[in-house]
Amino acid sequence: MRTVLSGRRRRLVAAAAVAAATALVMSACSGASSSDGNGKVTLTFLSHYGDEPMKSGISKLIDQWNSEHPDIQVKQQTVKFDDLLTTLNVRQTGGRGADILSSYALWGGQLAANNVLDKPPADVAKDIKSNYSPAAAAAVTGGDGQVFGYPTEFNTYVLYYNKKILADAGYDTPPADWAQLKEVAEKTTKKDSSGNYQVQGLSLIQDGDNQTAHPFLSLLDAAGGTFLKPDGKSALDSKAKATMELESELAKSGATTTSIMPTKAFPANQVAMAIQASWWIGSLKNQMKDDYKNVGTAPVPGPKAGEQGSLAYAFFTGVNAGSKHKEQAWQFLTWFNSHKNKEGVTEMGDFLASNGLIPPRKADADILGPKLQAADPNLKPIYEAAGYAMAESNAANAYKAKTSLHNALDQILVNNAPVGQTFDSLVAEINRK
Amino acid sequence: MTGTYLTAAPEAVSELNASEPRTRTRSRRFRREGRAGYLFLAPSLLFFLIFLILPSFFAIFLSLSKWGGYDLTQIHFIGVQNYTDILNFDSTFVSPILVNTLVFAALAVVLAVAGSLVVAQCIERLKLQGFWRFLYFLPVVATVVAIGNVWKMMYQPSGLINGLLNALHINSIGFLSDPKIALPSVAVVQAWASIGAAVLILTAGIKAIDRSVYEAAEIDGANSWKTFWSITLPLLRPSLVFVFITQCIAGLQSFALIIVMTKDGGPVNSTNVAAFEMYQQAFKFGAWGTASAMAMVLFLIIFIITLIQLWVSRRAGDDD
Repeated sequence: MRTVLSGRRRRLVAAAAVAAATALVMSACSGASSSDGNGKVTLTFLSHYGDEPMKSGISKLIDQWNSEHPDIQVKQQTVKFDDLLTTLNVRQTGGRGADILSSYALWGGQLAANNVLDKPPADVAKDIKSNYSPAAAAAVTGGDGQVFGYPTEFNTYVLYYNKKILADAGYDTPPADWAQLKEVAEKTTKKDSSGNYQVQGLSLIQDGDNQTAHPFLSLLDAAGGTFLKPDGKSALDSKAKATMELESELAKSGATTTSIMPTKAFPANQVAMAIQASWWIGSLKNQMKDDYKNVGTAPVPGPKAGEQGSLAYAFFTGVNAGSKHKEQAWQFLTWFNSHKNKEGVTEMGDFLASNGLIPPRKADADILGPKLQAADPNLKPIYEAAGYAMAESNAANAYKAKTSLHNALDQILVNNAPVGQTFDSLVAEINRK
Repeated sequence: MTGTYLTAAPEAVSELNASEPRTRTRSRRFRREGRAGYLFLAPSLLFFLIFLILPSFFAIFLSLSKWGGYDLTQIHFIGVQNYTDILNFDSTFVSPILVNTLVFAALAVVLAVAGSLVVAQCIERLKLQGFWRFLYFLPVVATVVAIGNVWKMMYQPSGLINGLLNALHINSIGFLSDPKIALPSVAVVQAWASIGAAVLILTAGIKAIDRSVYEAAEIDGANSWKTFWSITLPLLRPSLVFVFITQCIAGLQSFALIIVMTKDGGPVNSTNVAAFEMYQQAFKFGAWGTASAMAMVLFLIIFIITLIQLWVSRRAGDDD
């Protein structure tokens, strides 16, 4: 009897030891921020700013904060953009989420629905709603009105065109409506005897995830349509169908193809026109050197002359709802996004503008915009688009819906699928989700 | 009889009594040894439990739940809804994703097994066999990312393969941009990258075949083809079955090569396979329940295919 009891006790003790060890490991793993006995707090900041030139710009700001605020130190953790959402997901689930998160606004609804994002203090939310460009503020505000965080990287879409290719085809100005867009695209397209493209008329894809979605959404905005309702249901209507028809006709005529990536072909003078984000301008300057003089930008045209549209997307910096030091994290973020330099421009706005991005804060854009546009007139349509662009949806299912949109557009552009059927399937798929 | 029994019984009892402490000692020793054995096994069992058994049960549970990731307190049990969502005609999971997965695995397996068989047979007749085996094994050592990127460059419209085709006055082929060709193009790379391991197994299998059988066949006047068909192939069947099963599982689970070569399973979902879709659903869209249900379906398919392969090989007499 005694043996049995001691055996049970031993098993109990063993189980307790395992549980204690597990608890110890779990407690060691939970929480990313730390604080020492003297009240000094170290916050972690997860972003995709691990590569130059963004890395050193962000680091400079953080170093300045750390030297001015010895009690609240910020430690950077960087991953590649392709790994950002996965890292956010895995670390958050494992209880190792960073205190401050940099995220693509498209994911904002998903993160908010899963209680990852802390609601910003009232003054922060008010600052974002009143002092940021409407498109940037809308991009970081959920369907229920929750602001996710401060907008950072902010991009609009415009039509890039190669002046020389257009001039050779007999056009001195960029297309002003869809009929002209089709005409110029078809006329500038050239193929060799083997069927290889020498010049693609109009590129409707971009590098990265869901390549066809953003150019389409820019054209859709120009047609007066929208993509998703605030609850994530489809808002696609006859205007979206007309936009799909346009892309379908361009693909059928061979004026556009998904087999050529404009990021490589445009700088090599192998693409006449491309609908691309504003960040591309810096990349083109670096790659094209003297040939950059051939590059022009114009608003993405609508069905009729005078109509124009653009898609605006943004990143944001927000605070983890699970952080133990949310107040300090917001304190840092407020400084990070509002601290001004001698010219009265926020350091963040200045840094973004120096990297070819639009400063999302209106006051920054008002000061920096005219100067930068005087130096490079191609920036004018980009800055102007911030005033009328459609903000990218950030509903909880936005990423999934955008992927469905990309697949549907791919069907049209690559497989020449019938627009009506593809459109109906897409709407049904989005609404089913 | 009874007397014998009676006289023998006390002896037997005393023998029994005498052996009792011995038996108890032995059983105690066995128990001690058993405990020591389990103690030695404990690290691997614990590893197995933490990294295989628990995640498997968690995945089964998740496949019956709705969970967006991030917060473990927000898992909601929804029964078989994830399964009904993915296994219906409107869902893209059955077609094209599962169809792509099976086609991709079949193409990769057939190409890899056929290729490795030819290579192994050729190496067997060459000098410097170690060098050739090393050469064919190199892709196995290289990372999938490197292999995928090199082939991606070769497949480009201005890449090496299209350059050669153009030189022969053949129009360029959109290896990765044509939805009809993209999946076979990636399957070729998968097969090429896995040939090395299969070659090693098959050359070992060929070497294990008794030379006297070949000598007998030669005396009987069998030619090379007859020898290969009637001797090498049947006697190589255990190695072939192993290669077939492992290649098939690798093909059905393929993910990294797809993500490197076509990035998003395109064009038009033509290279989207089950493992890639699971990754998308879980890590991109936060649909962990859907992803887990897909994982269970894929597990079931791999399990059934493996059972069929084993059954076929047993019927062919491998177990004899």
